This record gives sequence, C-alpha cells and structure tokens, in this order.
Amino acid sequence: MRYLVPTVFFALFVIWYLTFLARRLDRLHLRVDNSWANLDVLLQKRASVALEIAHSDIADPASSLLLTGAAYQARDASIQHRSNAESGLSGALGLLLEDSRHLATAADSQLLTELSALTDKIRVAIAIHTDAVSRSQMLRRKYVVRTFRLAGNAPLPVTYEFEADVL
Amino acid sequence: MLSKLLKIGIVCPYSWDTPGGVGNHVRDLAEYLIAQGHDVSVLAPASEDAILPSYVVNAGKPISIPYNGAVARILFGPVAYSRVRNWIAEGNFDLLHLHEPAIPSISLLACWAAEGPMVGTFHAAAKHQKIIFAIGPILEPAIEKLSARIAVSEAARLTLTDHLDTDAVVIPNGIYASRYTHGSPQSKWQGNTIGFIGRFEESRKGLRVLIDALPVISRFAPDVKVFVAGPGDPEEAIKSIDPQLRARFEFLGKISESDKADFMTSVALYVAPNTGGESFGIIVAEALAGGACVVASDIPAFDDLLGHGQYGALFESENSTELAKVIIDLLRNQDKRIELAKSGKDHAQLFDWSVVAEQIYSVYEMAMVGGSKVRVAQDSRSWSRFLSREEKP
Repeated sequence: MRYLVPTVFFALFVIWYLTFLARRLDRLHLRVDNSWANLDVLLQKRASVALEIAHSDIADPASSLLLTGAAYQARDASIQHRSNAESGLSGALGLLLEDSRHLATAADSQLLTELSALTDKIRVAIAIHTDAVSRSQMLRRKYVVRTFRLAGNAPLPVTYEFEADVL
Repeated sequence: MLSKLLKIGIVCPYSWDTPGGVGNHVRDLAEYLIAQGHDVSVLAPASEDAILPSYVVNAGKPISIPYNGAVARILFGPVAYSRVRNWIAEGNFDLLHLHEPAIPSISLLACWAAEGPMVGTFHAAAKHQKIIFAIGPILEPAIEKLSARIAVSEAARLTLTDHLDTDAVVIPNGIYASRYTHGSPQSKWQGNTIGFIGRFEESRKGLRVLIDALPVISRFAPDVKVFVAGPGDPEEAIKSIDPQLRARFEFLGKISESDKADFMTSVALYVAPNTGGESFGIIVAEALAGGACVVASDIPAFDDLLGHGQYGALFESENSTELAKVIIDLLRNQDKRIELAKSGKDHAQLFDWSVVAEQIYSVYEMAMVGGSKVRVAQDSRSWSRFLSREEKP
C-alpha cells in the first residue's frame, strides 16, 4: 500500500509525458506538411515562370528546349524524383541566366526580377522546411517515441535535397 | 507588395521604457507594419506609469537581471503568463511574432501558451550562453513550435545552431536609412574628428579601447577631437583619460535622431570599438547610411556587416595599437575615407525597412500557410483548467 501513491503519480507522469510527446510530434508533422505545401507552391510557380522565360526572347531555341523539358519534368515529377527534377531546372535556369542577363529587354527583365524574387522566397522556404523535417526526424528517433509508436502511421518525413547554391 | 492585411501580435521581451536594440527594432517594425495598414498589437513589459503608444499592451512591471554583459529588464511568472494568455485569446491574431524567445521572458511564455503560425526572431549572439545550454532541453519543445525562425545576423544564426540545434533565416535588423542620408555637415564636428555613439559606461561598448588609442593618434594628428554621444555620466570616463588629452574629448550626451544624421555626415571617422555582445550593430548600419567612414572592431557581427572590410575598416578587437594605426592611416588618406564611406552608404540601403520588412513579411506568409489562426494551446488550456479547479475551494 505504501507504494501505491508514488506508483500512481509515476503512472500519471508517464501518461502525461507520452501525450506531451505525441502532441509535440503531431505539431511537428503539421509543420512539415505546411512548409512542404508552401515550398511546393513556390516551386510550381517557378516552373511556370521558367516556361514563360523559355517562350520569351531571352532564350535561344536550344536553351528554350532544355528549359521547357526541365520545367515539365519538375512539374510532373513524383515525390521521389522531385528534388532531382527541381535541381535540374535550377541548373537549366542557371545556365541560361548566366549569359543572358545583359541581353534582356524591359519586358523580359520583369520576368527575371520575378524569378529572382521567387528564388529568394524558395531559399527561405527550403530553410524552413528542412528545419521542420530535421526536427521531426530527431524526435522520431527517440527511444520512447519508437517504442510506444507515438508517430502512429505517419510516414517519416524525408529531407528535401535541394542544391540551394544553384538557385 | 504587402498585399493582405493581417492582425499581427508582436511580443517584446524587454521593458518598453528602457531603450535597447530589440525594443527599437520591435517599435520600428510595428510602426512600419501599421503604416502598411496592418493591425498590430505589441505586448511588452513596462512600468505602470510609463506612457505607451496606442499599439502597445503592458504586460506588467519588469524585473532587472544581469544578462549578456548588460542589465536586462524582463518579465515572467504566473501573473505574466496569464496576461500573455489573455492577450493571445482576445487578440484573434493571424500571426504571432516573438522576439528573443530563448530568453526567460514573455516571448517564451507566449511561445508556450500559443498554437498556430508563429515566427521567432533571435537577436542575441554570444559564444557560450551557458544558461541556454542548461535549459536547452526545456526550451526545445517551445522553440519547436515556431513555424519559422529569423536570426538578425550570421553570428546570431550560429548561436542558434550551436545551442538549440535549429536553423534560421538571416534577415538583418532594419533602419530608416532615409533618415540618415540627408544630414547636413556641421562645422563644429568636422575636421580631424572621431565620432562614437553608445552607452559608453558599458565596457562592452569599448570606449576604453578608443581612449587607450588616443595618445598615439594625437601624436600623429595633434588636432584630433573625439566626440562621444550617448546617455550616461561622463565623470567616470573623463577621470580615466590622461589629463593632457582630456581636452580632446567632448561628451555630447544623448543626441536626437536628426543630430545623429548630421553627426554621421560630419565626422571624419565613426569608430565602433565594441568588444563583444553585439549581434548586429544597428548603430554601425546607421553610421553607414549617414555616410560616415566606419572603423569597427572585428567581432563577428561587424565583420559580417562591413563585408569583411569592404564597407568600412576593421581592427582587431580590444587592440588599441591597431585601432590607432587604422585611424591614423585613414585620417591621412582622405580619398580612401571617401571611397569607404561611399560604398558603405550604398550597402546600408540593404538594411532599410522597406527591404527588411518585405523580407520579414514574406516569412510571415510562409508561416501562415495552412490557414489556421493563433489560438491558446490545447495543453496550456487543460493545464489552466486544472489549476483553476485547484483554486476554487
């Protein structure tokens, strides 16, 4: 009987701690989802800007072809191939912009400013998303979290490999 | 480009009545956002009789504790916590912007109490913040709730990655660059003059280093004058100066914003000999915007801000011999001075609020993806229900 009170308290504490962890985990998953949604939208926008650039006077026929291909690939890629495709698009854009900045006319340079504003945003979005992912991966690795299966059926968030330097 | 009008809650951890870097930043940001049409409420500690602008809500009387080489006036405790919760519950905010949430003050409490889109800005940069180290595991779950983190400098970001293991977007502090660009040169401050602005009584502002450098400087530039502006009692500082050199120093006391602009345009050199504890260096950015040629210690924040010496001269921190060398060199070379001042002035445009607030706003937008509003956190609600049940009998 002497141990009853401490045992009850201990059990209550354990239950509290588990719910606390589960709630933390839930919040992190939500953060991952939201930041991914945000990044996704920005990347889609970038692909469409890239298409516009491909159809404008900035691009010569060869780079236009390259860019169009890369943009479509980025748009349609499945989640596993997404980062590869986006990096490809970054590369294609980088190649083109390297030597065309001085050629751009007024209308085209508006496209380019739009692209660079978008690029800045994407960089921030990637940082936010990566942080959310690594935080939740860290928590998911915890022994308690794994033993009690606190994550339920939620898939382990995957890091989005994105070569930010290419942007 | 600021499109949708938002209801934004900003929390300032330090007392509103004592001016400081974070407080000024919060004030300027709030006023900028209000000017853009947003509905902004700022929660900050302040003494009861303080006169507050209409957008500031008083969270209670702050207490003073020594922190990071200065005295911080912060606030925590159960009463403050319930005020924070009420403010969140009644505010119906689209977004919370918490400043310095890793410090035990109301920002941390707000982070605890709220749920939903939250952005945190980290200002402090210190190599070894033992306190944060110690309470890291407690902070983690709270900091984790922030949808996005901002660090005001590369130095602040490093502090964050070291101590809390989390990354941040670097967005510099803002200044109203245009306030400083149109200063008119005042002849009383011109010539072989050196300017210094800051609370010179605090040792980390480094006035000491400048005083120690002066004997050498005055040998090479006999007509040199040093103007020290900033709040504080000069008595102590004057006593520590070599009597023969006392006439070279002039203490101006606290100067107004418009005087500051004139000051920066007039002096030959602006010196920032800070020995540490500085995270961004707003005064250096203002000096750059005012068109001053800046000489600063090579602490990480200044090194970063001055582009490793591209926009102003650097000297080894706390080394007055080197400071003297750099100053003498620049006093003799007017062309170099003008060149540095010019590139600095252009660079300072990056810190203008119109640029900085835009960047902050785009982080807001990203934090708000998902569309939910800020509300009082579930766990905090049940906890308080539990507490109030205890209190009733």
